[in-house]
Amino acid sequence: MNESLSPSDPTTAIVSIERVSKRYGRVAAVSDVSLEVRRGEVLGLLGPNGSGKTTLLRMLTGYLAPTAGRLTVAGFDTEREAMQARRHIGYVPESLPLYGHMRVREFLSFIARLRGLSRRAAPAAVDEVIERVRLGDMAAAPIRTLSRGYRQRVAIGQGLVHRPDILVLDEPTNGLDPRQIIETRALIRGLAGERTIIMSSHILGEVEKTADRVAILLRGRLLDLRAMADTPDLEALFLSLT
Amino acid sequence: MSALAVLLHKELHATFTSAVAYAVAAVFFLVTGYTFSLTLFFTKVANLTYIFHQMYVLLILLVPIITMRAFAEERKADTLELLLTSPVREVWIVVAKFLAALTLVAGLLAGSSAYAVILGLYGEPDWAPIYGGYLALLLLGGLLVAIGIFTSSLTENQVVAATCALGLGLMLWFADAASYMLPAPLDVVAINLSLIGHFTTFVGGSMFLSDAGYYLTLSLLALFLATRVVMDR
Repeated sequence: MNESLSPSDPTTAIVSIERVSKRYGRVAAVSDVSLEVRRGEVLGLLGPNGSGKTTLLRMLTGYLAPTAGRLTVAGFDTEREAMQARRHIGYVPESLPLYGHMRVREFLSFIARLRGLSRRAAPAAVDEVIERVRLGDMAAAPIRTLSRGYRQRVAIGQGLVHRPDILVLDEPTNGLDPRQIIETRALIRGLAGERTIIMSSHILGEVEKTADRVAILLRGRLLDLRAMADTPDLEALFLSLT
Repeated sequence: MSALAVLLHKELHATFTSAVAYAVAAVFFLVTGYTFSLTLFFTKVANLTYIFHQMYVLLILLVPIITMRAFAEERKADTLELLLTSPVREVWIVVAKFLAALTLVAGLLAGSSAYAVILGLYGEPDWAPIYGGYLALLLLGGLLVAIGIFTSSLTENQVVAATCALGLGLMLWFADAASYMLPAPLDVVAINLSLIGHFTTFVGGSMFLSDAGYYLTLSLLALFLATRVVMDR
């Protein structure tokens, strides 16, 4: 591991995960993971299926409570100060949970209001995100009629609509065709810098092309955390660790 | 409260754009309208006691169909994850679903008030049992909705949710039957658990706080349990 996992400088770390574990009975989904995410960076969580990536992201978003350890988002504890912590996060789950009976604009407005935007501020935020994820031609369409690619854009749009500091993406290119994958990667890179992005993937190329740093997980344990700039051959590193 | 308003708006939209609401309303008005017409023509008596008892049975049968999708559908589509990672307390999600379903039930009861209006126009009904009956039906509807929300929170299968809610409703209806086999004071508990025992007093025109308290207490218990289930993920 070429980076310190000790508590970070609070001026740069926006997410802090301290010795976090999650157990389901005897099964440890995540074991003693500690890491920090810096403001504005793209962190890729890389690992095979079942390595604990989704569980870790779900704990970060407050959906799951850790069995042990502590997570903070923008300085707020995800358990004790859950409401404040959640305001700073936009979350795009792998399953693309959307309300099929709603139209795209209606859905984004609902999420914007749910995440705390006022009735006055929501329409502008929705317009902004529709333009950002290029949904203009589908804004009035019922979500159930959209293709997988458009549904992915709506899902990312709902994660961005309340202008969160942190965007959490779980396997963001799963099920997309090559063109949609390229577009989604470009969108993620375009958001880098203005927002902190934490994305999980089991695809090496995905992380190589989008992340500033990579955290490699296996069987719930953090095996390595390093900058992509210091990782000329991610494939070799991954094979050596797993 | 703002989050509750946003959630309630979404739930009302989902409820009233669903074919289920209109199918339930159609069955409810078809059956009660048929019975009202028959009893009025045959008995020529200006009261709604018979209709109220029929509505009691219809609510036990139909409310589980209204509430079955509440959480089961959200679980199935994974949209519950979206709600539970928003800055919204679980209790507001439960309350919004409860109020939306109760609004539909209240709408059914409001529609059926046409029968009382007809009696008022052409006869001289005793209004106390009618007011009492509607209050009892609203309280009963609230309890059945709360039970349905609770069973829906337990599963992602809507049919299972509806079946369990129907089962609980029927068990509460017939709870007093067990009193014949139970020793004191459990027999009194069984009698007091019965839905029908707390319903007939209202329909008779007598209103007791204890009867209203029964419906409210069990409703709150069911909503509390639903909230705990949603929190325990």
